[in-house]
Amino acid sequence: MAKPKEKYKVPVLDGNINIPRIVPGASAYEHMIEAQKDDMEALGFPSKLQDGWKEKAIGVFKEILDNNKALRDYMDICVRCGACTDKCQFFLGTSDPNNMPVQRQELMRKVYRYYFTPAGFFKNLSNSQELTEEVLKDWFTYFYQCSECRRCSLYCPYGIDTAEVTMAARQIMDSIGLGQKYATEVIHKVFKTGNNIGIPAPALRNTLDDLEEEIKDETGKDVKIPMDVEGVDVLLVPPSADFFAMPHMESLKGYAKVFHKAGISYTVSSYASEAGNFGMFLGSYKNMKEINKRIWDEARRLKVKRVIVGECGHAWRAAYQYSNTMNGPFDFLDSKYKSPTHICDFTLDLINKGAIRLDKSANDDKVVTFHDSCNVARGSRMGDYRGGQFEIPRQLIKAAANHFVELREGTTRESTFCCGAGGGLLTEEVMNIRIAGSMPRMQTVKEAVDNHKVNFYALICAICKTQFSKIFPTYGFDAEMVGGIHQLVSNAIIL
Amino acid sequence: MTPLNLTTAFYLLFTYTVGLIFAVGVILRIYQYATTPQPVNIPLTPAPLTRGGALARILGEVFFFKSLFKSNKATWLFGYAFHISFFLLIFMHFLRHFIYANPLPWWYNIFVDIGIICGIIMVLSLLFLLLRRVVVERIKFISLFQDYLILILLMLIGLAGLSLNYVLTPAALTVVDNSLDPYMNGLLTFQFTNIPANPLFLIHYTLVMLLVAYIPFSKVMHFIGIFFSPTRVMVDNPVEERYYRPGAKDLSI
Repeated sequence: MAKPKEKYKVPVLDGNINIPRIVPGASAYEHMIEAQKDDMEALGFPSKLQDGWKEKAIGVFKEILDNNKALRDYMDICVRCGACTDKCQFFLGTSDPNNMPVQRQELMRKVYRYYFTPAGFFKNLSNSQELTEEVLKDWFTYFYQCSECRRCSLYCPYGIDTAEVTMAARQIMDSIGLGQKYATEVIHKVFKTGNNIGIPAPALRNTLDDLEEEIKDETGKDVKIPMDVEGVDVLLVPPSADFFAMPHMESLKGYAKVFHKAGISYTVSSYASEAGNFGMFLGSYKNMKEINKRIWDEARRLKVKRVIVGECGHAWRAAYQYSNTMNGPFDFLDSKYKSPTHICDFTLDLINKGAIRLDKSANDDKVVTFHDSCNVARGSRMGDYRGGQFEIPRQLIKAAANHFVELREGTTRESTFCCGAGGGLLTEEVMNIRIAGSMPRMQTVKEAVDNHKVNFYALICAICKTQFSKIFPTYGFDAEMVGGIHQLVSNAIIL
Repeated sequence: MTPLNLTTAFYLLFTYTVGLIFAVGVILRIYQYATTPQPVNIPLTPAPLTRGGALARILGEVFFFKSLFKSNKATWLFGYAFHISFFLLIFMHFLRHFIYANPLPWWYNIFVDIGIICGIIMVLSLLFLLLRRVVVERIKFISLFQDYLILILLMLIGLAGLSLNYVLTPAALTVVDNSLDPYMNGLLTFQFTNIPANPLFLIHYTLVMLLVAYIPFSKVMHFIGIFFSPTRVMVDNPVEERYYRPGAKDLSI
């Protein structure tokens, strides 16, 4: 781990999200720690930069262009209209022009022009540039100051998705041995232990025992959290943070109570103990597929009828959007549940069917607001209708609590801001970027706290929870405000 | 039949070359966009759940610039004004060819007036788009040579076109009009006649040819690319219909 910094640069909150004047290079100082040898090798990448890296990089770049329609299209069609320039939370927070989506893309596009278009002949005039060490350094800095949240794509007249460009850049860098320590380390842990945190099976069982005991102490009920049980109905795959981190564990207790009360048999798995998929952050198809495959191998082995995914944003996108492509089809599942179900969808359905009942007054001490997580909002869906990913969590909150307020209009639903640490940014060494990136969201939090006395910030993403638990105190808010929707369910469910 | 002059010979060669560059360039680009595989499903959600819905979404972008409207009202207004007037003008240039006859239809002057209004709107909206690149700090920072080039080229085309109506006498304009039609017909039927010799016309024509030849190599390709943009054209139905591309490779290893 990097040393925690003594002091952070924390913007002062006034409730306004202003477009800053640009300050070139403002966040160039903050960059990731390079990946370690054994992590890179475990993922199938060269361990470090080697001779001939430039040629290799251009070769991989060409391969991606030839095999990825999104990148091929997006390299050509940007007209630099500027619609995206004021939409990225990292630009709004850092003022660094390379964090404007179009300019982040330009870091790659200028190399594209040089090697792959006639404009490359006019070098400076057309802004074409060779892939030099200098350029590579910029790539490593700024393609790791993008959380792949897709907010820019929403506002782009052509839907150009910087996340795709960032993923391609990271692929190219990984392929020549320039990786990011945090994400590669996490993926390596998944391959070794089944989860991002690196919890081995016995430790996982211990923590589940502790949670069962906690629930027993709090409610007097014997709520079990089974692990590696064959032949049950449901395989529950939460993000591994739900097993060990706070406030994530409160949501896990919520899931357990829901299953218990509804009388649906389920299990978690020590082999597939991770819903998250950092392969997606790297843009690495192979790693993404391998990580995702663990869930489906385990679903087959345990002979479950249904897979349910816990509160995690990018995990849900990976599970919902990519599972079927990468490791499907899932003919062995119950034909009603041919794909994974989101835990919120599952719980709300049980409430609507009357299988469980909630006592809303249990959350009467709370004024709840909801933060749409980027990968859920802009990368996936819940339920069987368009926009279900917005309605289902809100309905669930309203079923569990009496006081709910929305965050500022224009910053919710598909227009939501990223928490600032998605896409593999949730690491200590870029803390200033994380703080700056969360600034637009924190302005709206301040407004909600000041005007509506909001004291509970409901989330459905493990990264959001970790990020905000860390960020809230730096901005002067209580970390206790942060929690999952199933934490509310956990409080309110009548056992 | 009058013999062809040297200017016409040059412009015939120029026009066919430009036409070839445009056709081949655009077709190659379409082929490239259409055949490049898309490994995973990446619609920007909330997205339509059906193909019809996705088509409606993309048409909403093409005809109304819906996403741009969401992001920046001023850019939308002037960008939209430019595109509408530009396309009306292209359409009317083709249409003129069919309605220009002797005698002229009684509404020909109204037709021309509409064209002139479109031309003025086009040039003014381009001027705004250009000013924006110079004045707004962020936009100035991201603007490249090629962004100014295309704006200035389009403005010059518009101004040259308008100048035909404002600088030339009606009689001189009629001379241009009368020889333009046979020249254009000749391009298609290979029964060549001389190109109008008026220098203002030739400037207008030359600039248009330069623009057309530049299109396949420029950002103007967005008019093709938008139809292939995965975040907008893909359908959000991974459960109902398995999105499977067996050729999807892992490219980073």
